[in-house]
Amino acid sequence: MLRNILLPSILLILAYGFWVSPDFKEIAAGVSIFLFGMLFLEEGFKAFTGGILEKLLQKTTDKTWKSLLFGIVSTTIMQSSSLVSVITISFISAGLVTLVGGIGIIFGANIGTTTGAWLVAAFGLKVKISAYAMPMLVFGLVLSFQKSKYLKGFGSVLAGLGFLFLGIHFMKEGFEAFKDSFDLASLAVDGYLGLFLFAAIGAAATVVMQSSHATLVLILTALAAGQITYENSLALAIGANVGTTITAIIGSLSANVQGKRLAGAHLVFNLVTGIIAIVFISQFVWAVDYLSSKVGIADNNYTMKLAVFHTLFNLTGVLVMVPLIKQLADSLNKYLPEKALDIAEPKFLSDAAIEFPETVLVSVKKEVWHLFDSAFELMAHGMNLHRSEILESPDLKKTIDEDREIHEFDLDELYASKVKILYSAIIDFISRSQSNMPSIFSEELYRLRNAATKIVECVKHIKHLRKNATEYMVSDNEHIRKEYNRLRYQIAMILREIYRLRDEDDYDHALAVLEMDELKAEILVTHGELDTRITEVLRDNRITPAMATSLLNDFNYVDATSNHLLDCAQALLASHADLIAEAAQEVILDEDEIEKISAS
Amino acid sequence: MKFSKLIDKFKKLVDSHEQGGRITAEKLDKLQQLLTEKKSRYEAKLEATQDPEKRSRLETRMKVVNAQLEKSKHLLSSN
Repeated sequence: MLRNILLPSILLILAYGFWVSPDFKEIAAGVSIFLFGMLFLEEGFKAFTGGILEKLLQKTTDKTWKSLLFGIVSTTIMQSSSLVSVITISFISAGLVTLVGGIGIIFGANIGTTTGAWLVAAFGLKVKISAYAMPMLVFGLVLSFQKSKYLKGFGSVLAGLGFLFLGIHFMKEGFEAFKDSFDLASLAVDGYLGLFLFAAIGAAATVVMQSSHATLVLILTALAAGQITYENSLALAIGANVGTTITAIIGSLSANVQGKRLAGAHLVFNLVTGIIAIVFISQFVWAVDYLSSKVGIADNNYTMKLAVFHTLFNLTGVLVMVPLIKQLADSLNKYLPEKALDIAEPKFLSDAAIEFPETVLVSVKKEVWHLFDSAFELMAHGMNLHRSEILESPDLKKTIDEDREIHEFDLDELYASKVKILYSAIIDFISRSQSNMPSIFSEELYRLRNAATKIVECVKHIKHLRKNATEYMVSDNEHIRKEYNRLRYQIAMILREIYRLRDEDDYDHALAVLEMDELKAEILVTHGELDTRITEVLRDNRITPAMATSLLNDFNYVDATSNHLLDCAQALLASHADLIAEAAQEVILDEDEIEKISAS
Repeated sequence: MKFSKLIDKFKKLVDSHEQGGRITAEKLDKLQQLLTEKKSRYEAKLEATQDPEKRSRLETRMKVVNAQLEKSKHLLSSN
């Protein structure tokens, strides 16, 4: 409801503003150009996300101090805490960064974002920045028309900076003219009420503009133009900090619970920091004055003093909150728990990750393993076995021979709730992310999609197999019972081997990929042996011809299921990030080669 | 530095990043080493195993490893 009326309301207010004031039009155009610049900047940086940015993130978040530093540096370079927080959410959703690491990045980003205030305060309002903006725009746009993705990206970054500077210029001009006709200071109320009022205005402005940076520039320019008082500007800056969390919250809407927890941490941090800043405002003002006089900032240079204040209160927030990161993460885990669901829902696919190829691959791979886990359960029950029997039994063959318990369940219903939902989500996610993929990534994405399809086919094969397997595993005819138990064993053994190879820490994944070929060759040998046995038992009338044809048909399902499972495991265990495992992908034997070996 | 040279350097940097994902002779070499070690392990097992069923399985597995070794050698020579 609120969402439906928000946009028309904003448009109406803007239209009214344009109608009554040309100066407001200039300020609004400045803000728009500034935001447009930010979009360009984000697009430019995304061009470099084919691995560099993401690899860097992975390596720099394993310790709190590292993640803090990463947040500071990346936000300083990108000048967008929003982009950093959205990337972090996508990483957390993909399980690449821990919640504690992610919180560290967000805290660091809050310090990094203060450099924007310094840049604008130091250069933006003193020099004629439009003089820099024009060449940057021209060079940037020329480069952004180039074919090379990276030149394009570089061009977008340059043009983005150009637009940012131009936006600031327009805002500055607008405020200069605007200050005589409208006085924000007239809204000022004394004491804490006034502080809260201006903080709320700052938060609202940031929510509308989706950028604390833009609000801060607006505050600095309004302050430089004498439109607001220094005290008002402090409250506005506090509000802007709180308002900026909205981008992370919007980003987390499509993320999993981990992403939502991170957005929650962002909100808690900025609220706590804001409250501290408001409660101790006089101490902060004193500290800002003291520090400013020490570093030679003039008493009346309020724009620089605001930058000092912005940095100081964010630093205070980080100093207060860093020792509490663990407790914060625990509380978020407690209050935003994982949903216990009867139906399988995608755990790792987040729309926030869609722009970042490396994250997409990791997310999809984890989700396909998730699908594999769900299908494992179905296949195990389909073969009237328990998951724990397959994975833990010390003598799998004996367990299968002795276990005659029939599992009563609706396979179609479980398929729809545990497998189909995940499969559809994976296919949908892959098709939406494929357009931005460099070829090296899209090949692997194709392999993963194929793997997901094969898992689904395996479940369908088991469905066909289940009827006869259930009937014959309790048959009085010992021979047919034995043969069907062999089929059950083959599926169980393959599943068990795949999990063993996946989970064994000290076993090289490259060898695991190639070991699947050995299992494929064993299956072929088994196939040959089965043919011989069927001929014998049929000839001796130990099984009926109907049983023999069922067995042959069902063995084909088992054969196809086994090979699909092994193909799928090969695709999942090989990774472009593990180059030896990728080399192993090239050495995998094809069907003919394996057939030749098993026949020899 | 000329602008074109700067762009060239930038391109080379990007290319070297992209090349990073490709399989190199070094990686194939390492893979061969792993396979050879595995083959030796199977040979040792085969010597210690008397059970004909287990021996036959081990022999099948060894044949696969041998074929993979051959394939990797072929890939290495054509690389």
